[in-house]
Amino acid sequence: MREKILQTLRDLRAYALSKGYEVSIDYHEEDSALMRFANSAISLNTSEHIIRLSVTAYAGRKRAGYDLITDLAKMDEMKMAVDTAAEMVQHAQPLAYQPTLPVFTEDFADESNFDPALAALSSEEKLAYFNAAAQGLESDEVKLSGILSNGATTLAQINTRSEHTQFFRFSDAQATVVLSHLKLKWEVQAEQSAHTRSVLDPQPVHRDLALLLRLYQREMPVSLPLGRYDIVFGQAAIADLISMMNWIGFNGGSMKRGFSMLGEDKVGQRVFSEKITLTDNPARPETFPFRRDFMGISRHRFPFFEAGVFKGFAWFQDDADEFGAQPTGHTVMHKSLILEGGEKDLPDLQALVEMPRENDLLYIPFLHYMNIVNPSKGLVTASSRFGALYLKKDGSLAIPYNVRLTESLLDIFGEKVAWLSKQTAPYNTSMSYGARNPTAMVVPLFMCVKDLEISHSNTSY
Amino acid sequence: MLEQIKQQIDRLKARGATYADARYYPFEESNQLFMQNGNLKNASSSRESGVGVRVLYKGAWGFAASSDLSDLAGLFDRAFENAKAAAERVTFPIRLAEKDAIQAQFASPCQVNPFEVPLSEKVAFLKAMDERMNQPGVFLRNAYLTFMRKQIVFVDSEGSQIEKLITEVFAGLEVDGMDSQGVMHERKFRLGQMGKPTRGWESIDLDLFAANAERIVRELNEMLAAEDCPKEDRSVILLPGIMYLQTHETIGHALELDRILGYELAYAGGSFVTLDDFGKLRYGSEKLTVRADATLPNSPGSFGYDDDGVPAQNVLLIDKGILVGAITGRQMVEEANARAHKQIFNGSGGANRATAFYRVPIERMTNINIDPGTDGTLDDIIANTERGIVLDGDRSWSIGSNREQFHFATEIGWLVEDGRKTKVVKNATYKGFTLPFWNSLSAVGDESTWQLQFVENCGKGQPNQIMQLGHGIPVCRFDNVRIGE
Repeated sequence: MREKILQTLRDLRAYALSKGYEVSIDYHEEDSALMRFANSAISLNTSEHIIRLSVTAYAGRKRAGYDLITDLAKMDEMKMAVDTAAEMVQHAQPLAYQPTLPVFTEDFADESNFDPALAALSSEEKLAYFNAAAQGLESDEVKLSGILSNGATTLAQINTRSEHTQFFRFSDAQATVVLSHLKLKWEVQAEQSAHTRSVLDPQPVHRDLALLLRLYQREMPVSLPLGRYDIVFGQAAIADLISMMNWIGFNGGSMKRGFSMLGEDKVGQRVFSEKITLTDNPARPETFPFRRDFMGISRHRFPFFEAGVFKGFAWFQDDADEFGAQPTGHTVMHKSLILEGGEKDLPDLQALVEMPRENDLLYIPFLHYMNIVNPSKGLVTASSRFGALYLKKDGSLAIPYNVRLTESLLDIFGEKVAWLSKQTAPYNTSMSYGARNPTAMVVPLFMCVKDLEISHSNTSY
Repeated sequence: MLEQIKQQIDRLKARGATYADARYYPFEESNQLFMQNGNLKNASSSRESGVGVRVLYKGAWGFAASSDLSDLAGLFDRAFENAKAAAERVTFPIRLAEKDAIQAQFASPCQVNPFEVPLSEKVAFLKAMDERMNQPGVFLRNAYLTFMRKQIVFVDSEGSQIEKLITEVFAGLEVDGMDSQGVMHERKFRLGQMGKPTRGWESIDLDLFAANAERIVRELNEMLAAEDCPKEDRSVILLPGIMYLQTHETIGHALELDRILGYELAYAGGSFVTLDDFGKLRYGSEKLTVRADATLPNSPGSFGYDDDGVPAQNVLLIDKGILVGAITGRQMVEEANARAHKQIFNGSGGANRATAFYRVPIERMTNINIDPGTDGTLDDIIANTERGIVLDGDRSWSIGSNREQFHFATEIGWLVEDGRKTKVVKNATYKGFTLPFWNSLSAVGDESTWQLQFVENCGKGQPNQIMQLGHGIPVCRFDNVRIGE
């Protein structure tokens, strides 16, 4: 299949050259499947096979693109896409800078992140996963929801500057399992990310769900008074906060456009707690890594923050072209972000619940609907969701109704960080908008931040 | 192609499917242009075609889609096999509300097909707007045009065949500037209905955009010199540029019947509304009447027939403050009535839509509109406000998972003291609990304040679907609202 795709791209390149066009051609193919549960039944079982072709034409400083959903048998249609992009670019307006069209110096192919067994997970296997994850936990009032999405993503590139190609292929799976009370409306959740079939294991999901379910059915709910709390963020919350930082923290283009909490003057300075080390590390297979970027730059470990010190911005090629910066190998669909663990030995949720504690702790596993209130200040807002716990210092616990936080990322990752768990794990952050793009980052299971403000507290679930 | 699709539907019926439909897209095309600080950063077009197949078997859905139409039988079989697998785990067998078999066509109103307008003309428009916004105080200026056009042929096993041709136009301007503390502020203008009867290239009105470019630059500069919004309780007067989002997030999403029934709990969330609430819940003050009106002549929330093949309707959602309706499709109304053991809904409300051939239809907002009120013009409402703030523009929004509470940041605020606007404030925010907020609705502007705003990117579902819709809203005032946090 790889050779058929690459030959198609070579044929399109030859066609473009014969017409005197300057183009880059990107191929994206997905085989996606998703089983969705709601109300303890399979509410949706889908499969989609989609091939996308993107042609970008260049003429001096002008650039225009044409995208097509097609299939490999439709060479005429794909040639039409090349012609259309080339026609469009004639009417485009020159940019104020010279956009870069890469010259691939060698063929590159990476299929090391493709596991056919994961890509082709059957409906029966997915159903068995859900059954095992929720075994014995459902009832007339407690219902199962969730998704198990799996698939294969193939990317290939060529352009008229060089005969060489780039080729990437991934398999991925994302499982989200939710138990919710039909009348009381509380929800608890456990998730899993997989880059190989062997990683997909419903038992840890079942373990965490069983614990949360027991606590939610046993303990009293409380509406927390507004005020300041020591908060333990779970994996989903940590990953969501880092995703925001990826946008308004260390993105060079955002910084130049004024949408960043960090300026160029902060490079080399300590801006976060020394407990915070965040890198982009394409050597980690759990992150569905790109080992080359789309400009052909070889990608290696790239630190953003080391012991709290800001090491530098990530630059997409187009932003680097516009602002005269050096590209950093980040012209990719996603980075491979790794937040290093700390020293607290907390292998799972049970350990957190049983941990001796000097202060009351509010555990927030998941932040719902996070949004940026003020990018210049790093100010974000979100609500807790999916299994929050109020862990009191006397060893008892209560179930807090959902609360809202409106805080700056500079504070959340700053000197208020008390500890991070030693244990880390991949957390799947794939969005299912548009083309399939399996994405995950590796983060500690838990991160404790002192003295954050709860600005809103629900009075019911 | 159509005959082949019908044959496949018949074949699946013969194999035991209780229902099947297909949405064939002969084409869907888009054209997007984005200019930033004079740079044409994006000039792109796209085209796609394919078929999405939905099959009901023993009370369970299966879905499959492909752009490769060379093996239609294989595609339909995949959908059928997916349904058979889903039938292994059914707790509430799916039934579909009755509907008529419909043979129909629909085309959204469009005088000038935007895909026939030369690219150079579109670029010239953006360039003119960019130059208009290039003024002191403006750090970043954005102008965009988005056009979509799609043909959809819907066929089902109940004898319906509906052909739709939908044209969409979205356009907007944005200016950003940095205040003396290095904090960025923004002001936007987005094209809405603006009284136009059609939605083609003719809706790109140069004079309208030029006037609004001047306005947003002026307001941005006022903001850059302004003080921060105070932290206190005030009456908030929401202009359409934020009122649409308040309506969208705390009425629209909360009243999607699939959310109410728990079908979005794995991702988007649920709703504080229960089936017991219909006909009883006081959602807002008596000044609040809300409709899901998919019959408006020019809006992305008007589409002729939904993707169940049900005609677009004007459905009353909230009547003088009391909850009476929801945003519904064929499956959910049947399940809701059965679960409630009473007839809450009389058939589908015609709001089941999919964003593309490769996505399954789900309940989506149409045009979620608030009726104009009797409290006069914006000036009248301000004149009758002792201590308030006028807010406009969406900067940030975050809502609780059951839509029970919210936090919004707006682009701009004007403090109101003793019936008149006194000064501009920046970094304005407000927050609240949904029901107390809507019950604090104390003034609803008249028709002079009513605008139909377009939404081009509402996200919902898994796999996620981006949908286009509208909100017709007047200026509204709410009392005792916390601002500035």
